[in-house]
Amino acid sequence: MLACEGATLDYGSYRALSGVSVRVERGELVVMLGANGAGKSSLFLAISGLRRLRSGSIRLDGQELAGRKPSDIVAAGLVQCAEGRKLFPGMSVRKNLTLGGYVHRADPKGSEAILERVFGMFPILRDKQHDTAGSLSGGQQQMVAIGRALMGRPKVLLLDEPSLGLAPLVVKQVLEAVQAINREGTTVLLAEQNAFAALKIAHRAYVLENGRIVSEGSPETLLADDRIRKAYIGA
Amino acid sequence: MSLFVQQILNGLTLGSVYALVALGLTLVYGILHIPNFSHGALFTVGAYAAYVTAGQLGANYWVALGAAALVTALVAMLSERLVFSRLRDSPPLHDMIAAIGLLLFFEALIQAKFGAEFHRVAAPYPGIWQGLRQATGLVLPIQRALIIAGAVILMVALHLFLTRTVTGSTIVAMAQNREGASLVGIDLTRVSLLTFAISGALAAVAAVLFAPINLVSPGMGNLVILKAFVIIILGGMGSVPGAIAGGMIIGFAESFGAFYISTDLKDIMAFALLVVILSVRPQGLFPAPAR
Repeated sequence: MLACEGATLDYGSYRALSGVSVRVERGELVVMLGANGAGKSSLFLAISGLRRLRSGSIRLDGQELAGRKPSDIVAAGLVQCAEGRKLFPGMSVRKNLTLGGYVHRADPKGSEAILERVFGMFPILRDKQHDTAGSLSGGQQQMVAIGRALMGRPKVLLLDEPSLGLAPLVVKQVLEAVQAINREGTTVLLAEQNAFAALKIAHRAYVLENGRIVSEGSPETLLADDRIRKAYIGA
Repeated sequence: MSLFVQQILNGLTLGSVYALVALGLTLVYGILHIPNFSHGALFTVGAYAAYVTAGQLGANYWVALGAAALVTALVAMLSERLVFSRLRDSPPLHDMIAAIGLLLFFEALIQAKFGAEFHRVAAPYPGIWQGLRQATGLVLPIQRALIIAGAVILMVALHLFLTRTVTGSTIVAMAQNREGASLVGIDLTRVSLLTFAISGALAAVAAVLFAPINLVSPGMGNLVILKAFVIIILGGMGSVPGAIAGGMIIGFAESFGAFYISTDLKDIMAFALLVVILSVRPQGLFPAPAR
């Protein structure tokens, strides 16, 4: 469904991605493992059109996304919940969520239904819907960010480090929500440093190091690989 | 007592003009982080557009006001497309240099076309309220009343647009988190153009309302833009309520300062206030929410 072939990205003279190829099939939950600075966020930003690839292609259902505007990519059905959440801190929770459905503004009824689904998934957001997003705790903000991405009606949802900086209990809750979203039919590509927790919910995983894919396979294979256990799980 | 009330009315008039100019400046700063010095040129372009349509072509004042807003919005959008959008990935200093360049360019262009001399834009309703003026001892010429009313209407309209409409929310969203706005599918080019158009139209309306009580000349925007910068720094860069409050503060300071201290020092008031307020509140009166 999402196919990234030979993606290469430079920041000036620094090569952030070199020839990265990743495939995510319809209905899959694929995890992208990698340390800080391995290139996970660069890859995700490139897929969303916020960074321009030097070469390579990114296809969604066979349709080329590389070089298109971020707004077109969202409209095509690829929505990202970015690292650091990137919420609108001075706006209410509800308005953040509503703006998530911006590309579907011609269908307010449909957006209202998804908003109810988001409130069902994260009931705390219903109580806090009139508070400003910036006043929420980190975990609640992450829920707003995931909810906002869902409002864009993704066919493929990219989640960049949704558990970053959250308490262990909240991490568990967020990853369970990700799994639930996937089970309801959304294809998910998840970047995580929290390898063990992420592999538990994944169908397949890639390992990114210094801008290259160094390993891929099922969670069981990766968990059985000593080198990967040492580098990402610490056991 | 009536002299005191008179200063309040004068302060409101000046404050309204300053607030309208500062609003456009703060909107553009809020979304693009460009210190748009060329905003002063938009003020001048608006005044000259009205001078041409009303003074030379003989159009009605209100038609001229609409035409000036339209022309200036187009000029602002062109400057975004031709200059600022191309500097998006350059260091911020380049934006500033380009903005000052645009300011000088428009000033020279207008001077070449219309000459350096002052021009007049006739007031739409000269002479009425003479009777009222004598009866109360207060001087609120109708043009000043128009300025205040116009500013209030535009501020309320802008506030409703930014908070109640989806299109308005896209501007606020881009100001609060640019990448976040992209990620929900907001087209940043469209929002930038829209913001420049609004800021140009606001500057033009301020200039055309102000023109009948103040002459039109190529350099008229220079002092106004400096004061508008003082206002948005005072109010908090990118803050809409800050621009309105800051505009009023500077307007009142000038009218009271000119009357009770010295007319010669009128233009210094704004800058003196800037120093005083920033030493107490370095973040401005209404700082934008933290990112």
